[in-house]
Amino acid sequence: MTALAAGLAQRGGRIGGRVGHALGRFWSGISAVSIKELRGRMRGRRAFVVLTIYLLLLGLFAFAIYVYLKQQAATTLINNGFGNGFPPPDFGGFPGTGQTLGNGTALSAGIGHGIFGGLLILETLLVLVLAPAFTTGAISLEREKQTLDLLVTTPLSTLGIVIGKLFSALVYVFLLIIASIPLASLVFVFGAVGPDDLVRAYLFLFALAFGMGALGLFVSALVRRTQTATVLTFVLVLVLSIGTAAAHQFWQVAARSTSSSSGLLLTSRSGRAPEALLWLNPFVADLDMVCATAPDTYHLSCEYVSGVTGRPYFGSPTNTQTFPGVLKGAPVPSVPFRGGGGVIVNDSGAGVAPETAPPVPVAGVDCAPNVRCAMPPETGANQALSFGFPRDTFWPKSATAFLVLGVVLTLLASQLVSPTRRLRISRPKFRRPQPPKTIEPDEPVAVENAS
Amino acid sequence: MSIAVRTDGLTKRYGRSTAVAGVQLEIESGEIFGLVGPNGAGKTTTLRMLATLLPPTAGDAEIGGHSVRRDPDGVRTVIGYMPDTFGVYDDMRVWEYLDFFGRCYGMTAARRRQMIGDLLELVDLADKKGEYVQDLSRGMQQRLCLAHALVHDPQVLLLDEPASGLDPRARVELRELLRELRALGKTILISSHILPELEELCTSVAIIDHGRLLASGRVEDIADRFRVGGVYRANVLGSDEKVGHAEQIFAGLKDVVSVVRRPGGLLELALRGDENTAATVLSGAIRGGVKLSSFAPAASDLEELFLQITNTPEVHA
Repeated sequence: MTALAAGLAQRGGRIGGRVGHALGRFWSGISAVSIKELRGRMRGRRAFVVLTIYLLLLGLFAFAIYVYLKQQAATTLINNGFGNGFPPPDFGGFPGTGQTLGNGTALSAGIGHGIFGGLLILETLLVLVLAPAFTTGAISLEREKQTLDLLVTTPLSTLGIVIGKLFSALVYVFLLIIASIPLASLVFVFGAVGPDDLVRAYLFLFALAFGMGALGLFVSALVRRTQTATVLTFVLVLVLSIGTAAAHQFWQVAARSTSSSSGLLLTSRSGRAPEALLWLNPFVADLDMVCATAPDTYHLSCEYVSGVTGRPYFGSPTNTQTFPGVLKGAPVPSVPFRGGGGVIVNDSGAGVAPETAPPVPVAGVDCAPNVRCAMPPETGANQALSFGFPRDTFWPKSATAFLVLGVVLTLLASQLVSPTRRLRISRPKFRRPQPPKTIEPDEPVAVENAS
Repeated sequence: MSIAVRTDGLTKRYGRSTAVAGVQLEIESGEIFGLVGPNGAGKTTTLRMLATLLPPTAGDAEIGGHSVRRDPDGVRTVIGYMPDTFGVYDDMRVWEYLDFFGRCYGMTAARRRQMIGDLLELVDLADKKGEYVQDLSRGMQQRLCLAHALVHDPQVLLLDEPASGLDPRARVELRELLRELRALGKTILISSHILPELEELCTSVAIIDHGRLLASGRVEDIADRFRVGGVYRANVLGSDEKVGHAEQIFAGLKDVVSVVRRPGGLLELALRGDENTAATVLSGAIRGGVKLSSFAPAASDLEELFLQITNTPEVHA
């Protein structure tokens, strides 16, 4: 008995030791590779020159948006005059068809919204290019320069090597992203964008950087040559950012043409292209976040995201079926402040969620397109009305999709590094037929080289 | 003497072609073992399988008691591998290069510092510690690569063509270095297609061609097994045709293992037996009408042996 216990303890200790050993190899892989990579990457002036250029570019872009929006506001104000009873025509927040009231608050919100949207899309673009660019040579360059063999003959785990490579590339991309936070915080001066919006945006950018970095790494491990890997990576990036949107649009049109009745465009649930098609399109997630900060209730970004998710962004359930064809004539609640996803609070102070909002009569059918309709009388000050776009409908899925993609591709990449470093599930070559009565415990699946 | 490296039917196939066909080797610890063969013979594939870089198609190998198939991680801790064409990382200093591999083996900072100093001293690069790796000369890079293979003080060194591309002086230095390592008790497996660099160094050799092991063992044992009495050089007078004719006559004689034609009417003959057979061969050739200006034994060294063994199938085909 004691011998058995001792045996078990010894065995347990051995297994524990083995796990600890594997963890050690995993950890030293990450630390050794990332320290080596960061030493190379951060050496000299290059890294800091890139950072400076990047921030200058972002700053210039934000300034250009500011100047453009101010100028446009000025011209529309001059054309329309002040206080002539008409609400001013649409004037651009990002990306162009938002509207503001002719007062300073809304103008400012439009600028804040515009800068936020512009920076978000530009940073998305940069992350989309830089994150895979830093990783697409990670493994293939080592192969080309014949240094990979040196790494593979060390006891490091390939997952450790791969994560070390990814980590060191991402550290730099994260540095770029984080360095832009002060610049992006400028939007707080103008309004429309809350700190939570910025937090959302940065969470998404981190997830995107991880997913895209892993994409480059995977292709790098898959393809022998760096040149091929680079081309393939960027083709995949284009497919994700443009191809999916085009495919989705095509599907949507095809689905609509089969499901629409009469001339009225109906978007029923069955007539929509699957939303999942766009989960890996970072720009759609951007639009979701841009829409959420739109200073008014109608915005192109909202229209697009609403078309994707099938969720109306006017609180009225009756509007559900009429989006987006009837949208242009739909009533626009003239509420000037941070509209994004907001809910008008009624007198009792309770917020009303979009789903529970009482139906609002649709004025749309009676309205000519592009003409602003008066609010129905029911929508009075005491009438609880949810409006704007429901927040967080799309980007969390997109961010999750990028995280999952990143994890999966990293694991796959670790399997592709070397033919001797693959997970092998050892199968017994020959299984003796067992007598039916004896119950054999399941053959443990030996996983060699797990890490 | 314990066995440091043992291969058992080690085989590697790529589709239909066989790179290494059932190689059986036994290398005692403390030996300097030369793996010799022409380009494409399967030397590098064999070494890569031993270094756990390629999974064998069939067969197995054991290094320091660890199986290449079942316990590759165990193998990795006991070997130091130096590939034939090795790269260096850009943007890395000499000490960082070794520090990196020290980290790979999970060494503590203090041990790494100690190891870097010792190894740079050993490979004579102590004064290059702070230089960039890519700025070193080829020979220095080679020594640095050897140092990298020694980071974790392995029992067995697998060196693939360590002397290729080195000038004679660097080659001599490398040889000295390998002797020092042997004195430290390491088992060294060297591959090469250039024999003179192994000749003075190796205690044993294996000759490999077309993926097959043709001979292995102590140099003297191999010579005995092929019963080579010696290699003779014959200088044939006359035109190319005459030389070709002479080649045929020599090849047709009894006790001639192989004939290799060299420029300038020179033929190299590997003969079985002793001086008496050489005399018989000589008289046979003269009876055949071959005009010779000289016929003398060449220094019987590894290269002659190598040429003789790798040429044998062609001559007899």
